[in-house]
Parts: sequence; structure tokens; C-alpha cells
Amino acid sequence: MQIHDQPTLKAEARNLNFYYGEAKALKGINMPIYDKKVTALIGPSGCGKSTYLRSFNRMHDLYPGNRYEGEIRFYPDNTNLLAPEVDPIEVRMRVGMVFQKPNPFPKSIYENVAYGLRVRGENNKRVLDDKVEHALKGGALWEEVKDRLHDLASNLSGGQQQRLCIARALATDPELLLFDEPTSALDPIATGAIEELVHELKKRVTILIVTHNMQQAARVSDYTAYMYLGELIEFGKTDEIFIKPKDKRTEDYITGRMG
Amino acid sequence: MQQTALTTDEIRALIAKGKLKDTLFKALGIFFLGLGLVIIFLLVGDMVMRGSERLNLDFFMNFASRRATQAGILSAWVGSLLVMTVTAFAAVPLGVAAGVYLEEYAKRNWVTEIIEINITNLAAVPSIVYGLLSLGIFVYQFGFGQSILTAGLTLALLILPIVIVSTREAIRAIPVAIREASMGCGATRWQTCRYHIIPYAMPGILTGVIIGLARAIGETAPIITIGALTFIAFLPPLPFTATEMGATAGLFEWLMSPFTVMPIQIFNWTSRPDPAFEVNAAAAGFVLMVMVLSMNGIAIWLRYKMRKNIKW
Amino acid sequence: MNESQHLSSQYDEELSRLRTHVLQMGGLVETQVSAAIEAYSSGEVASVKTIVESDRKVNDLEKAIDDDCAHIIAKRQPAASDLRLVFGISKIVTDLERAGDEAKKIAKGVRRIYEAGHMPSQYGVGVRHIAEAALAMIRQALDAFARLDAAQAASVIRADDDVDVEFKSIMRQLITHMMEDPRTITTAMDIIWIARAVERIGDHAKNVAEHVIFIVEGRDIRHMKNKGSEA
Repeated sequence: MQIHDQPTLKAEARNLNFYYGEAKALKGINMPIYDKKVTALIGPSGCGKSTYLRSFNRMHDLYPGNRYEGEIRFYPDNTNLLAPEVDPIEVRMRVGMVFQKPNPFPKSIYENVAYGLRVRGENNKRVLDDKVEHALKGGALWEEVKDRLHDLASNLSGGQQQRLCIARALATDPELLLFDEPTSALDPIATGAIEELVHELKKRVTILIVTHNMQQAARVSDYTAYMYLGELIEFGKTDEIFIKPKDKRTEDYITGRMG
Repeated sequence: MQQTALTTDEIRALIAKGKLKDTLFKALGIFFLGLGLVIIFLLVGDMVMRGSERLNLDFFMNFASRRATQAGILSAWVGSLLVMTVTAFAAVPLGVAAGVYLEEYAKRNWVTEIIEINITNLAAVPSIVYGLLSLGIFVYQFGFGQSILTAGLTLALLILPIVIVSTREAIRAIPVAIREASMGCGATRWQTCRYHIIPYAMPGILTGVIIGLARAIGETAPIITIGALTFIAFLPPLPFTATEMGATAGLFEWLMSPFTVMPIQIFNWTSRPDPAFEVNAAAAGFVLMVMVLSMNGIAIWLRYKMRKNIKW
Repeated sequence: MNESQHLSSQYDEELSRLRTHVLQMGGLVETQVSAAIEAYSSGEVASVKTIVESDRKVNDLEKAIDDDCAHIIAKRQPAASDLRLVFGISKIVTDLERAGDEAKKIAKGVRRIYEAGHMPSQYGVGVRHIAEAALAMIRQALDAFARLDAAQAASVIRADDDVDVEFKSIMRQLITHMMEDPRTITTAMDIIWIARAVERIGDHAKNVAEHVIFIVEGRDIRHMKNKGSEA
């Protein structure tokens, strides 16, 4: 299928290098992220896709010895997310993240979702109730938990926990949502529910998703980037990448051939 | 290629051989474990037997006395309780703050390395050295005197490494994913500590604190060094009550009061020539042991109760 | 095309078996077409029977290949070049099977004409000529598939234009015949059917070539102007 309208840019990596201490983990990445689209990052283990993803919310700042070079431009305001003068907390308030393993806090369902709002100083119960409900609906979990909002989140199933984590990220209306292999710990049914949710979510938010599962990338994404050894090998529309990739290395990877 | 497949009989023979060693080791383990337990039970039993005749309400409600049969442990257990309170109030905030700082805030460099090594070593410093340290600092430098405050702070220093180490251990047990989830929501480090790290580490911290207190309650050497009295026939003043001097006691006046504690009382009694006091010592020893054991019991119960809701 | 091996050697085997089967099927269809042409020129009605019989084998192969394609898609989720190969093959076999059907039609037409006591070749050599051309197209298309040669496939597509032009001139010629001598109408109609079948075989060969180009280059050049021109 042809996508005729030119999508607008939400973010753009420009000459992005990243170092874990001395080790260069990302090498000169230039890549657009389009607004209200799903972009999948694929590649073998250790190719830097998670490292790249975690640069978008400055997760690497939590650990010493990490260093960025280059820029991630964030639109429409054209902020460089990696600029030293930009506080990582500001970045994380605009960019939500969902992790590989469902990691709800050992608190109630309600408190999990309300957390992002609470750290922003929101304590008005009515506002919180409202946003929690909205976020849980966004995470396609409301119907399942509306009668037990104050139960512990750890009593939910793995798939529900992951949707709770998505709702937690949604509660603060992020502009960009990062998914780091969100279904690798889930069974196929729960995986299907998450994929369906991703499809729904792209109406409201731009999504960047790392996945080991190529079929998943093919199913959920509009754009796909193939990374290898810290480099961006190929970026393009998912349809094109999975039918006619331009680079031999991409071809070898997605057809399961030896490099 | 050599034939390696074994017949069923050979396999069974092998297993039987392995099992024999298994059984031997098990028997050995049970023997030594039993030996240890028997010795402890004999000691405790001996103590209970010898002290049982004194274990009545009067024993708890009487002050020390020159007559063994009339002597009690009132000032000792009240003193121990008050000293422990001071210790807890001093050691917990300091230790938790230090532990949280070291785990969550401090950069990994040679300074923190040295601090870490020192904390570990502090736990091994003989307790009498803490006593000497406090004698210099709290008693003379700060002028706290030979008071409950001095004793409490001394014992707080003594258990501080335990509190710090157990705080750090408890924090380390929290998965990185939780920290990242919180920071990923846009929380600051302090918010992450306040809403997640400290609450989730609390069971571990409390366990550490109580185990530290259980150690502190039995300490004698540092308390003697700072000059606790061995014979006290009065209680520290309750807040807002009349003191012996006639004035009204302030809220914290008890802090500056002289005191004695359980181990000192026991030490005092055992050093008397009159064998009747040995009965008192045995009874007090039993009481002290029950105190320590119940503190450990509380630690276990708290940990169980608080961990029930924390699942990763 | 990607010739390096898959991590799964079984997958490699499955794909190569698939290609072998397609070539086998192509060989059968090619024989059918050439036998039909032979029957047309020589009047060897006996070969008609063998054409009909081998049609059954062609159908069986088509089903088997479609099955294999479905299995590979279900089990391996082929992507990129593998996806194009499997997808292209499942279309190629459809065209090959239809080309075989057209050969059968030719054979039946030839039998009718001979049974009516006529000689089809007396109506000009045009049919035989485009039949040779269509046969060559089938051969080349299969060859292009075997070697995954896009350039050769492109030349097959260009050749189809010539067949179409010749088919039209044969039509005109036969219409003239029929107008001049209405007694020839029955035979001429049969020959038109035959010529039509030959032209269809050419179309199927062209389709196969288009699929080959899709397999090799990932371009879908169906229904495009300037087909076969090098991009």
C-alpha cells in the first residue's frame, strides 16, 4: 500500500553517537521519527537498538560513564533532547517508556497509573480519578480493573501488568512513547493484545518500538529501521523493508540468513 | 570410540555409591547441629533453673539492693529501654540516609570506595573502642555526661554500620526496572527514593535496625567505659513530673539522667562474692535473652508482613 | 537474489525443492505446448491423448506446489526475497497451469479439424509461426525463472507484443477467408480458437516473466506502460 501524504517529523537523530565509557555503542545515526506513526527498531542482540531507544528519554543519564554525541531533535519546538542544558527529567516528562518486563510498582493499580501525575505535583483527587480512568482506558485495561483499582498491581497477569505499564506511561500524555521489547515476556494472546493496543495508540502518540520479533515489527510498524553493530543500516517504510530491502545485510537478517 | 553406555545395574550401583556419601554427610551435619543446639539448651536451661526462683513480678519492679533476695532489675530494664530508644532514633535516620545516599546518589569513585571500605571495617571495630571514642566526644567534649543520651549515641555509633549495610543491601535488592520505571515517569531521584526505594527497602532496613539493636542491648564494654553506674536506685525523671530537687522535669530531661542497663546489672551481680546474687544474675540474664529473642522475633514478623505486598 | 544460506538448512531445502517442482511443472507444460503445435502441423491426433493425460500431472503438481507454498508461509513466515519467491511461485504455477489448459484446447481444436477431414495448415502458416513464438516465450520465461534473470524475463515481455500483433493479422486473414468462402467457417472458427489459445499461452508466458521480475527486483510491473524496460 502506498502512503501518499508526507508525514510530519516528530523527532530526528542527527549524527548520534553514544559511548558506554570507551565503547562506542551507536555510530553516527541519522534517522527521522514520524509523527503519529509506529517506527520499529530491529536487529540482532547487541546491535544497539535498545541503547538507541533509551537515548530518547535520556535513560543513560542514570548511569555514570555514558556519553552522547550529536543530537536528537524533537519537534515541533525543535529541542535537542540530548543537550546538556536540557534536564533529563524534562525529557522524560515528554517521552514515556514501557519496558521489556512488566514492571509495575508494588502498589495499587490506581497508584501505579497516578504516579506520573503525582510526581508532577497533581494531588486533586478528582483530576487524578479522571486521568487514571482515561489512561486505563487508553491502555485497554479499564474494563478489567475498574472494580478493583485499589488492588495490588502484582495480582494482575503478565499481559495486564504490561498494559498497566502502558497506561502508567499514557497518564501524563507523552508525545513519544518508547517500547523496549514490550512483549518478550508475554504469551501470544497477551502479545496480540499489546500489538492491537499499539495500533490504537498511534492515533494519539508517536511510537518507537524495539522488537526481537520481526513479524511483530512487520505487523505493528509503519517504518522500520534495521540496526547492526551500532549502525543504522537501513530505514524505510515497513512494507518496503519486508518485501524489498535495499541492503543485503537487512535482507540477510530478515530472511534468517547467515551474514 | 569407547563404549560408554552403562547397564542399568551399573547405573544403580553408581547411584547407591553416591547416596551413601549423601547419607554420611547428612548424618554428620545433623550431629554437629544437634551438638550446638544441645549445648545452648543446656546453658539456657541451667540459667533458667538457677534463676527461676527470682523470676517474679517483684524482680521486675524492685531497684537494686544490697540484699540479693530484694534486689530487682527495674532501673536496669527501664534504662535499657530508654537507651535503646535513643539509639534507634539516632541510628535509623543517620544510617538510612547514609545508605540511601551511597546507593542512589553517590558517584562511584575512589572517595566512595574508601567510605565503603571504612563502613565495612567499622562494623569490626571492638565495641570498647566506641566507648573510648564517646568518652572523649560525648562525655567531655559535648558535656553530655554519663547519661542515657551518651549511652544511646554511643550504641548508635556502634550499630550504624549494621544499619547502613542492611539499608544498602535492601536497596540493592530492588530491581533496576523499578528505579527506571519511576525515573521514566519523570520523577526526580528524591521522588524515586521517597515513593519507592525507601518504602520497598523498609522491611530490610527494619530487620537490620532491630538486629543492630539486639546487639546493642547486650553491649557492656562501651557502656562501662563511658561510666554508667552499676547501682542506681531511681528512675530517670518522667517528663513534667517533680524531680528529687523539687523542680519540674522537662520533656527531655530523662536524657541527661544517670542510668544503668541490663548487662551492667548482670555484670555487677556476677562480680559480687555472695553466691545469692548469682541467682539474680541468672534471672536477669534470662530476661535479657528473652528481650533479644523477642526483638529478633519482631524483626522476622515485620519482614514477613511488609514483604507480603512487595512482589517484583 | 540472495544466494547465501539460511540459518535453517531445512528451509533452504524446502525452497530449493519448491523451485525444482516449478521447473518440473514448467517442463511438462512446455512439452504440452510443443506437442500441441506438433499435432497442429502434422495432424498426429494420437498426441492429443498424451497432452490431455499430462494435463492431469500438471494439475497435481500445481496443487502440490501451492500446498508447499502455504506450508512455507505458515512455518517460516518468509520475508523479503523469500517472500517474493514464494509469492511469485504461487502465481507462476497458476499461469503455467492455464498455459497447459490452453495447450489442451489447441489439441482438442486440432482433433476436431482433422476429424472433420481438414488440414489446418492449409490456412496459412501464421498460426504455426506465433505458436513457435509462444513456445519460445514459455521456454525463455522458465529459463529466466531458473536463473532468476530479470533481463531475460524483460525480453519475454517485449516478445509478447509481437505475438499480439501477429494474432491480430491472423484474425484478419481468417475473417477474409470466411467472407470469401462461407464453407470454411467451421474450420476457420476452430483455427481462431487455436490462435486465440496460442496468444493466451504467450500472455501466460509474459505473466510468468513479470512474476520473475517481481521475484528478482521486487517491482510489480503488471499493468504498467513500458513493461520490461529496464528501470
